[in-house]
Formats: sequence, C-alpha cells, structure tokens
Amino acid sequence: MEALKAQFPATNFTLLAVVLALPLIGAFVNGVFGKRLGKAGVRLMALSALGGSFIAALATFLLLPKGEGGGTLAWTAWRWFSLNGRMGQTIPIDVAFSVDAMSATMMLVVTGVGFLIHLYSSEYMIKDPGYHRFFAYLNLFCFAMLTLVMADNMAVLFVGWEGVGLCSYLLIGFWFGEEKNATAGKKAFIVNRIGDFGLLVAMAILLYYTGSLRFAEINANARNLLDPVTIWPFGNLPIESQWDAANPSANALYKAIVHLFLPEKGIQVYASTLVGLAMFLGAAGKSAQIPLYVWLPDAMAGPTPVSALIHAATMVTAGVYLVARTSAVFLMSPAAMATVAVLGCATAIFAASIGLFQHDLKKVLAYSTVSQLGFMFIGVGVGAFAAGFFHVFTHAFFKACLFLGAGSVIHAMHARIHDTDKSQDIRNMGGLKKYMPITRWTFLLSCFAIAGAPPLAGFWSKDEILWRAFSTKIVAPEVGRLEPLWTWPSWLGQTIYWVGVVAATMTAFYMFRAYFLTFHGEFRGWKVVAGWKEPKHAHGHDDHGHDDHHDHHDDGTPLEGPKPHESPLAMTLPLMVLAAFAVFAGFLMAEPIHFEPLGHILAPVFTRAHDAVVLRGEGVEKLMWPMMGPGVAAFLAGTGAAMVVYLNKGGAPEEAFKKAAPGLYKLIYDKWRIDELYDAVVVGMVDALADIFTTADKWLIDGVLAKLTAAIVAFFGTVLRTFQTGRVQVYGAAMAIGLAGVGFFLVRPHADATVDDSKLRSAGEVVISAAPGPGYEYRWEGTGTEQKDFGPLREVRINVNPGETKDVKLHVRNAFAQEATHSFAITRPGRGFPSSAAPVPVVPGGVVPAGGGSIPAKDIPGLINPRGAQ
Amino acid sequence: MSPLDLVFQYWPAIGAGILGALVPRGDASTKQRAGLGLIAALTTLFVIWLWPTEGGAQAAQAAEAAGEWPHLLNLLIALPIVGAAAVLFIPRQMLSVLRGFTYLVLGIGFVASLWLLTVPMTAGWHFQYIKDWMPSLGIRYHVAIDGISLWLVLLTTFVTPIAAYASFGSIKTRIKEFCFALLLLQGGMIGAFLALDLFLFYVFWELMLVPMFMMIGVWGGADRVKAAIKFFLYTMAGSVLMLAAIIYLVWTHQKLTGDFTFDYLALSRVVLSKNAQIICFWAFSLAFFIKVPMWPVHTWLPDAHVQAPTGGSVILAAVMLKLGTYAYMRFSMGLFPGPASNLSANLAGVAILGGILYGALVAWKQRDVKRLVAYSSVAHLGFVMLGLFSATPTGMQGAVLQMVNHGVSTGALFLLVGVIYDRRHTREVDEFGGLAKVMPIYAVVFLIVTFASVGVPGTNGFVGEFLVIMGTFLSERLGKFAGIHTVGAAAGVILAAVYMLYVVQKMFFGPLTNPKNKHLPDLTVRESLALAPLVLMIFVIGFFPSIFLDRMKESILLQHNQYKVVSGQAILFADERDAKLLPEDTFSPAFLKGMPKKEKPAEPPAGAEGSQAALGGEGKVAQ
Repeated sequence: MEALKAQFPATNFTLLAVVLALPLIGAFVNGVFGKRLGKAGVRLMALSALGGSFIAALATFLLLPKGEGGGTLAWTAWRWFSLNGRMGQTIPIDVAFSVDAMSATMMLVVTGVGFLIHLYSSEYMIKDPGYHRFFAYLNLFCFAMLTLVMADNMAVLFVGWEGVGLCSYLLIGFWFGEEKNATAGKKAFIVNRIGDFGLLVAMAILLYYTGSLRFAEINANARNLLDPVTIWPFGNLPIESQWDAANPSANALYKAIVHLFLPEKGIQVYASTLVGLAMFLGAAGKSAQIPLYVWLPDAMAGPTPVSALIHAATMVTAGVYLVARTSAVFLMSPAAMATVAVLGCATAIFAASIGLFQHDLKKVLAYSTVSQLGFMFIGVGVGAFAAGFFHVFTHAFFKACLFLGAGSVIHAMHARIHDTDKSQDIRNMGGLKKYMPITRWTFLLSCFAIAGAPPLAGFWSKDEILWRAFSTKIVAPEVGRLEPLWTWPSWLGQTIYWVGVVAATMTAFYMFRAYFLTFHGEFRGWKVVAGWKEPKHAHGHDDHGHDDHHDHHDDGTPLEGPKPHESPLAMTLPLMVLAAFAVFAGFLMAEPIHFEPLGHILAPVFTRAHDAVVLRGEGVEKLMWPMMGPGVAAFLAGTGAAMVVYLNKGGAPEEAFKKAAPGLYKLIYDKWRIDELYDAVVVGMVDALADIFTTADKWLIDGVLAKLTAAIVAFFGTVLRTFQTGRVQVYGAAMAIGLAGVGFFLVRPHADATVDDSKLRSAGEVVISAAPGPGYEYRWEGTGTEQKDFGPLREVRINVNPGETKDVKLHVRNAFAQEATHSFAITRPGRGFPSSAAPVPVVPGGVVPAGGGSIPAKDIPGLINPRGAQ
Repeated sequence: MSPLDLVFQYWPAIGAGILGALVPRGDASTKQRAGLGLIAALTTLFVIWLWPTEGGAQAAQAAEAAGEWPHLLNLLIALPIVGAAAVLFIPRQMLSVLRGFTYLVLGIGFVASLWLLTVPMTAGWHFQYIKDWMPSLGIRYHVAIDGISLWLVLLTTFVTPIAAYASFGSIKTRIKEFCFALLLLQGGMIGAFLALDLFLFYVFWELMLVPMFMMIGVWGGADRVKAAIKFFLYTMAGSVLMLAAIIYLVWTHQKLTGDFTFDYLALSRVVLSKNAQIICFWAFSLAFFIKVPMWPVHTWLPDAHVQAPTGGSVILAAVMLKLGTYAYMRFSMGLFPGPASNLSANLAGVAILGGILYGALVAWKQRDVKRLVAYSSVAHLGFVMLGLFSATPTGMQGAVLQMVNHGVSTGALFLLVGVIYDRRHTREVDEFGGLAKVMPIYAVVFLIVTFASVGVPGTNGFVGEFLVIMGTFLSERLGKFAGIHTVGAAAGVILAAVYMLYVVQKMFFGPLTNPKNKHLPDLTVRESLALAPLVLMIFVIGFFPSIFLDRMKESILLQHNQYKVVSGQAILFADERDAKLLPEDTFSPAFLKGMPKKEKPAEPPAGAEGSQAALGGEGKVAQ
C-alpha cells in the first residue's frame, strides 16, 4: 500500500490513466480488429479491459487520502486549450482528472457493475453477428462514463457526458436493421442534446462569473453567482415606462398591445438560479426527468445488458452526479433546488403511474428507472446530496440485477418466441420460477430492494431521501443589500415527502406485479408458437396492445416448442453478485442505526451543504423513526396489493379496472400520451418552422435575390433589345429625334452659374462665373457696377459686408435672342452671429475644377472634404 | 543520433504506423496498408513535432535566429500557378504524367507549407515579402503570413491534394483542364490568404473564381452551367462593390497623405467619415458575406455544391468559403472597425438566426444529401461569423479554429457524399437505407465525420463551437445581447444533431429495401486513403487543439487589441464629413512592419487649406 502511495503521488496520480486507458484500448481493439479476433478474443479483450480497470479503480479507492478535509487524487494529462475570461485572464482548460470519494465510488460502480454486465453480455450476445461491435461500444461507453465521473472540470465532464450519449445512441440502435431501433437511438441523442444545450449555457455563465470551469474553483467561487441578471426584457427592449417615454403619441390600442409584452419593471433573477436551471436541463436530459424523460422508455430498444448498464445503472445517473458535484452552485439558489426537487418528485410519481399497467417487462423497468431517478433528484434537490448519491449507488445494483434478470427471462423466452416484442411481453410469461430458479430468486430480492423492504438496500437509501425531504430546509445565502433570494415555503418539503411515499407505494405495486406475472402462475407462452408473427390483417394500431393475440390460438392448448430454460453461469453469476449487493449495500449508509461508512467518506465532499441545509425546526430529529413508518407501509401496501391482485386473483382486478374505466386505463397505458403531445407541439412546431423556412428559402430569398434580379435585368434587356432592330430607317429616325432634341437645347438659353464662395468668410468676396454657351451675352444686376446692356462679362466679383445680403441677377441672351434669368442671394454672416442655418452647401475647392461650372453647388455636399494630414 | 534513438524517440509514430497498416482487413492491398500506415505515422509525427514543449522559448529563439526565407510565400503562391501554366504544355493523352505532375506540385506545396510551422508565430507578420509592382499607383506585391492566415494556408495545401486525389478517381474526362484549374485555384486561394495589398488581394480574389467557375461548369452535374453562372454572378456582384470601396479608400488616403497606396497596413490608419465608413464597410462585407455565405445571400451555395464535382465541392466548402470569413476578419474588421463594432450585435443576430438556426432547419428538410451538407455549411459558418462578431479573443480563436474544422469535416462529408454518388448516381436520401450492412466501413467513417460535424466532444467540431459559444457570452461587444445570442447559438447544437442524424438514419439504418443498394462495394483503396487524413485530423484537432490555438493566439490577441482600440477611436473621432488619419502609434509596430515608407514629409495637399476654410460652416450660399 505504502509502495503504491509512493508510486502514485496524489497530485500526479497516473493510475487514473490506467483506469481510463484500458476500456479505451478495449474499444479500439474490438472495434477495429474484433472481426479478426473472433468471439473468444473479443470476450477476452473486453473482460480483461474492464477487469483491469476495476482493479485499478479499487486501488484508487483504497489510496484515497483519508482524513478531515477528505482528499483528491489528481492527474493532468495535457493542456486541452485555454480561453480568456471576462477580465482577459487566461483560463486553462486541461484534460485533467481528479477523484474524490464520490467519484471513486462512482468509478467502482461503473467498472464493477460494468464488468459484471460485460460478463453477462459475453453470453447473452453470443449469437449476434455484431459481437465485436457490441463490445467495442460497451467498452467505449465505460471509458466515456469514467471520464464523466473522474473529470476535474466541466469541459472534460462534457466529453464524457456527450460520449456516453454517443455510445447510448450507438447501442440503442445496435440492431439498426429495424427502423424502430434506429429511431429510438436518434430520439435519445436529440433529447439528450437538448439537455446538453442547457449544460453549454451553464458552462458559459459559470465561466463568466466564476472565471473557471474546474469544479473545485466553481464551488469555491460560487458566491460570485449571486449577481442579479435581467432576463426580461432582454437586449435593447425597453420596459413599459421607457417605451411610453419614447412613444408619447402612440394610440391607446397600440400601447395596450405593447404593454402586454413589456414588463413594468425588468424581471431579474440571480445568475445562480440561471446556472442551476440550465444545469438541471442538462441533468434532466441525461437522467430522464420531466420534461425530457421521453427518450428512456424508447431506449429499451437496445440489447438488454445495455439497458442494465447504461439506462439503469450508470449513464442515467450522471445528472444526479452533476447536481451533487456542483452542489455549491445549487446551494446558491433555493429556487433552482426547488425546481430540481419538485420536478424530481413529479417525475417519481408520474413515471410510477405509467409503470402500473405496462405489458412490456423492459418498459416496466424503464419507467421504474425514471421514477427512481426522480427519487434521486428529490434527494439532491432538498440538499441531501449524500442521500441522493447513495440512492444512485444502491439503485445501480438492484436495477442492474432487475434488468439482467429481465434479460435472462427474455433470453429464455427467445428460445421459444423469436419476436422481440412478444418475448418481452409479461402476458406471455408466467410460471417461470419453475424453469429458472436463480433468475427468479435474484429478481425477487431486487424487487424487495427496490420496493423498499427493510433492511434491503433500497429501503435505506429511499428512506434517507424522504426523511431529509421531510425534515430539512434550505437556508438561502446572504446577499446583503440586494433583493433577497426566494426561499422554500414550509409546506414544500412535507408535500414532497408524502408524494414520495405514494410513488413508493406504486413502485412496490408495479414491481411485484411484474414479478408475479413473470414468475408465478402458469406459463402462458405455450400459446405462442415459435416463430410467431404478427397477424397481417387490418388491425387498428391502437388496440393491438390489448387483444391482439387472443384471436389466435384461443383454445389455450400448449403448442409444441422448446421450453424456457435457466441461463448459463456467465449470466447467472452477475445476477447473484448484484442481488447480494442489492441486499446488503444499504448498510453502507444506514443513518437511523448510525452505521454509515459511505456517509463518512462522502461527508467532506458536501461540506458546504452542512451550513446551508438545516433541520426544519426544533425536535424534528425525534421523528426519524416514526417517519419511517409511512415508507414501510408503502412497501407493505404496494406489495400486498400486487400479491392480492396478481397472485391470488390472477390479475382479474386489473381486467375489471380496465372495463370500469377504459379511458383512464388506456391513457395510462399510452403513457399519458405525452409523446403524442410533444410530437404535436414541439416537434410539430419545429417541423412547421423548417418547412416554412425551406419554402421561403426557395421562393422568397432565392426568388427575390436571384430570380427577381435576373428577371429585372432580363426585362431591361428585352426592352432595350427592341431598339436594336438593325434597320437603318429606325436608326435614322432615332438620330433625327436626337438631333432635334439637341437643337432645342441649344436654342434655349441657360442661365447657369457657379458660385465660388471660398473667400466669403474671410474677405467677403464671391466669384460668380456664368456657364458659357453659343453666342451668349450676359447682363449682371446687383453687382455694384450697373450694367445696362448685355456684354461678354462672364465672371463677376462681388464684395459682401458682414451681415449683409446681396441679390445678384444674371440675364443671359443667346445667339437666337432668347433670354433667361437667374438670381442669386449671397449672405455673409455677421461677426457676432455665427450661422445657425441648416447645413451649408459647400463647394470643396480642391475637388471641383475652378470654372468647370457644370456642377451646381447643391449636389456636392456628399463629397469628401479632406483637411490634410494630421 | 543513431537509428535506434530515432526509434525510441518516435515510437508513437512508428506504433501508429504499424497500427494503421493493420487496420484494413485480410485481403486488403499492400497499397492500402502502406498508405494508411504512412498517414497514421505522419499524423502522429505531426502531433509530436508540434507538441508544446517546456523549452519552447529556446526553440523559438533558435528558429528566430535561423530566419525566415523570404521567398517561401512566393513559392507557395507561384508554384501552383506556374505549375498550372506548365500543365498546358503536357500532352492531354499522357494522363499519368498529368496526374503525377499535379500531385508533385501540390505535394511540394504541402511540404513547403509545413515549413511555416517551424517559425514561432509571434504577433505580427512573418515571411514578409514586398516588391513594387506599379509604383505610380502605389500597388505593391506584399505578402505575409500571421497566426491567422497560417492555418488557412495549411488547410488549403492540405485539402487540395486530397481533393485532387479523390477527383482523379471519379473524373475521367478533360483531365488536363482539370489539373490546370485545380492548380490555378490553389494558387489563387493561397494568394488571397497571403496578400496584404488590397489590389493584390483583389486580383487573387477574382483569380480563384475562374477555375472554380470552370470546375462547376465543366465537370458538374446536369444543371451545371446555371449553377456556375449563379455562383459567378453572386460572387462578382459583391466583388465589384468591394473594388469600388477599395478605390475610394485609396483615393481618400491619397487625399490625406498625398501618396497612393493600396497597402492594407497603411490604409488601416484611415478613418473615413461616418457615412463613408458605413458604405465602405458594407461594400467590403457584402462581398465577404456572399462568399461565407451568410443569410440572406447564401442561396448560390446549395446550387453550386449540388452541381459541382466532388473535388470542386470539397475545395469550395473547405477553403473558398473560408476566404469570406478570413477576409471579413482581416479587412472588414481591420479597415472599418467602427461600423464592424457598432453593427456586431445585429450581425451576430443574423449569424445566429439566419445562419445557425435557419441554416440548420433548412438543412433538415433537404432530401439531397449534398444540398443538406451545403446548408449545414451555412449553419457552421454562422458559428464562425458569430465568433468574429463577438470580437473576444476566445470567440475569434474559436472562429479561426472552426474555419479549419469546417474545412476538415465538411470536406470529408463532401468526399463521402461523392463516394455514394459515384456508386449510385443519386444523392436522394430516400433512395438509400440500411447501407451500414453492405458498406460498414463507409458507414463508420460517415458516422465519425457526422459526429465531428455535430460537434461531439473529442472531435474537432466541439472545440471550435465551444470556444465560440463561450466567447459570445463573454463578449462586451455584443452588450446586452450576449446572453440571448449565447442561448441561440447553443440551441444550434441541438438542430445540428437533428439534421445530421436524420440523414445518417435514412442512409445507413433501417432495413435494406432498395435492391439497387444490395451489392454496393465498400470504400475503395483510393477513397479510404483520401479520407484517412481528414478523419485523423478530426481527432487530432479534437484532442490536441492547443497545437493550433497556441500558434494563432498571439496574432489573434494582436488583432483583437487593435480592433478594440481602433474601433474605439474610429467611433470617437469619425467626423460627419472628413476622413482622418490615425497616428501611427495607435497601432502596434509589429502590425505596421512593412508599411510603405513615406517619400516626402506629410504635407497637406494643395487644396486642403481652402476647403478647411469652407468647413467652418460660416459661408452660406443660397440660390
């Protein structure tokens, strides 16, 4: 041990590289060379990669510095990139990893459970032609998940975060030959991306306010986030009073409409709340919480071990991990925490309700996962970070065990039914305890654990969460003279508690419903032939869930076919190990009996929560044991009800309920039709928008810019072309008309003149030069020297005194004795009164050639008037 | 150094080479193995070579002392152009000679361009070369490189050979003309990236239009002529406005100093009068926005891409579009920082709404894969432009990196689309489905490039987008809009996943129903060798972006500081009517290095005094 400590100093803990590299190498080797290695080679590579990684993770856990402040093991791989902060400071983003108690525990879960699931899959997937591909993805997933939990900063976490999403996408769509699976994978990735959007925004805000993306520094500088931000109106939009001031003459209706949108006062929230909400959006995407939970049930399209590893034990808990990891940020905003807790609570009960009547065994487990994740979010939302994380830990075992058990059942059913949907339908199961005892017992134990039977793992963790929700409150941080933060109303914690208890009852009910329907009673799969296919005749899509295969083989006589069988050892061994953990893991943090080794290890990670999360009132702590009662009662009620309904009465009450309230039953069965709602609202809207844009792009933008321009040019071309006839007569006529026009112009006199007033200001001298023309003679009036008759004088010089205005009149007579007149008024401003007139037209001396004379002064002001080098 | 030492020093490269050679399955040809091994080894070597080391400062000094060969840039520009001329003398029947010669010229160009990396890219100009061209008009041949153009030049020399290699697989007619066009294009593009004389820049800017016009018009699809004309007219419309603005700027400079010059550095000092600034800014920027292309002047791009041959598309997307963004950064922001700064919040809004979001949504609705990729370019370049508008060092670094990223990943995407087009002669997504079964390697490569394009961390796309988004939020320039812009830009990452995964699913997943797709061959040797460097670069940039960012950082900071200072001055001192000249000390001496020397002391030209008198505004003339 000491030797290891010397080998791996805490600040350069290269063992982490081993933990990470082994799965990555496994992924690469299996992915690129897997086909050549053969299945045995692939299995060896995958298992040894994960096994080695587990051993290294275990060593890491053991080497973790113990003591008061806790400790971290850190390893920096290389400088990824660096950016500049708000103050221009350089903020390095390193590929760095650091491990504290929480991440070390997660590493053990990921590699440990991961190893068991790899072992299980090596048998489960043995017949699949994509064996190597499967293990490459699975190893890659473990690498990404380890990156996520070991990351030292949010950018590296994001690598893992998207990496697991990517692997999830690949694995859900593993059997990509079916459109359904590929669609489910895509849906998972896109919904996750909505969450990632939140995470990106959160990172930007954190970077701005805390000046770092490292968790240690984010948590240390979390107080900087207590800065009010105006979220509405954004940008340059005014508030009501500003708008009124800017538009005094707006009519009443217009004003009323505008006032609908503009607030009286800017709406401000604290940056911490924004970060919290954005981060929760990310967490909700990854951890399947309302409103982004819809992808997880569909994700069951992937192979069952994938559901166990990714969609139950590890990846989906990343959101909880993130919230716990950035707990200091969330503690700066009770509103964000309330959002987390309330949405977690809502998810817990909502998903549990959907789970009640599902027929697909994996769907039941999927909704149960969503619901359990809701419990975890209640935990981190009420400030019980350790408890929430503990539920992540225990849930990993029993839910992985349940999924693998379901996989074992499906494996057995597959021997008989070669149809994915049918082999997962619990209505086709029943009585399997006879054929697969190990699966049955491990499944049962895990059911007890998840239902919260004392003293199994699920009991301790769920109870801890609910107790914390009941007993604690969150103290808002002090903000000095700023507007105080929103605080929790006193009833919120208790409401969450009671809703949680109801959800726990439902959990017990649907889990045991699934258990009894699967393992007890008679095997109903006899009715289904091997290779059974969906009837091809017209069948409403909606009702095939209820009564489809009843119209086939209604007689119920068993058909010949292989029997279900227990799975081989490679599959049952993981089940037994996981079941053992599901039974005993709870004692790692059993607060009521004061035995919590894990709690002690985790305590230094959440020191900040100690001050911010306090007991609700005096004497509440005495209620700890009594408040355990409702939790146990929930287990008993749920389990008992399930037993009565499905074991004793063979499911008759469910049928009765279905008949009594067909609408409600169907609504629940159809998952409250949330998917349809999203399709209609969100997807439909984006789709419509895209359609509009596409049409506009083609007809409006391209139409105006390209087609219309081209049309205009073509139009002029056509018009002008008609003049180019090539007939001499037409040209001759045009020439005649043109000459006539020129002649007319020459016959008429034009009294134009250029005024050079550049010396007007200094010397009061203005030079007026008249434009020349054929036979022009000029007569000036008002120049001072009176002129009686027309003469050749083209240019006159006039002196104007300050404040004086002179009217000058120019008469022009041309060779045809026609006359024209033009008058000028020349004003020289007075000494004491600078001209206040509107912009004065200026003739820049250097620009216009003197005496050029053809540009009237008023056309020139746009021209530049340089002043020379400065 | 003994050979054994070399082995020990470069074991990662050797390992990578062996690994690369092992990647293809059993029956692969030696050529493919050797090629992939070589590409892998060279890429690793590249990373090792450029890895930031502790002794960086010493190495930098050593390199500085070694000096910069002044003709390197001339070589880079002239080699392809001279090569293009030389191609004309090779008989058209000698196909392999033509191809070999083209490879040779492009190869030498690439190796020579690697030389640029040996010099530490400190702020200011490097490899500067100045020669008088038309002294009476102050037109000079002035080329130089800095940390910004460095990567774009390298991108050009890197992508063009790949495009050439891939093209020779599918283009069978008029090889000679193709070689000519390709080399001329390369010369034009590199010249435009390096020119610091506005006249020279304009010449190259227009020069590269011609070969691209030929490429689309000669080797393109069914509607090629129309698309080529559209491409040409759009770009030309912008360019002539730019030319007018250049001339106005030069004329103003002449008015102020008495000297004619087209030099970018000298012209940077001119602050035009308020209206003239805005008009000239738009004249320049419109030309660049069309090239980028930014909404709403983007519609030439899908048409051009759909009709262009694969190689043309690759170069068009990977390099030519970057000229728009690069030129905006260099010239619009450099010459007219005032309007660029004032308008940045609005323009950023256009980049987000019109580029990132609109481009993505329209891409989603396209049924032609190539069209879809073209619209995705609009979205990606929206990110680049957003980074530039944000005008933070972070955002600008992200923008430049994203230019390179887009070149790599979209270039690869166009190559991939070309692969399937060569087999099926269609690009309609509805024609495909389930291709992953028959073309697994193709599917894997497509998926990797897709995720690079979507911006999954670990690939190049992420780093660029991340920097741009962070830079946007940190931007002072965007003011109150920074927050909403960040949200909009980040929302773009969702849509990127939507349209890219849509096309992946449609093409590769689901049942293999279309009988025409049942026996498609997987990637050929040529195709895989063309794609390998791009795929490797995706990961190299994704994992080791600091190799790239370190070398551009100082130039970006210089440009950023200058932009900040000069835009402030330009806004403060811009007159209603007069142009002004900023004092030289406004700029860093590193920036002004190479500015044309004054022949005579600056004296106001003759007419200036009189006009100043008139400026007093006391004279009033009424008719």
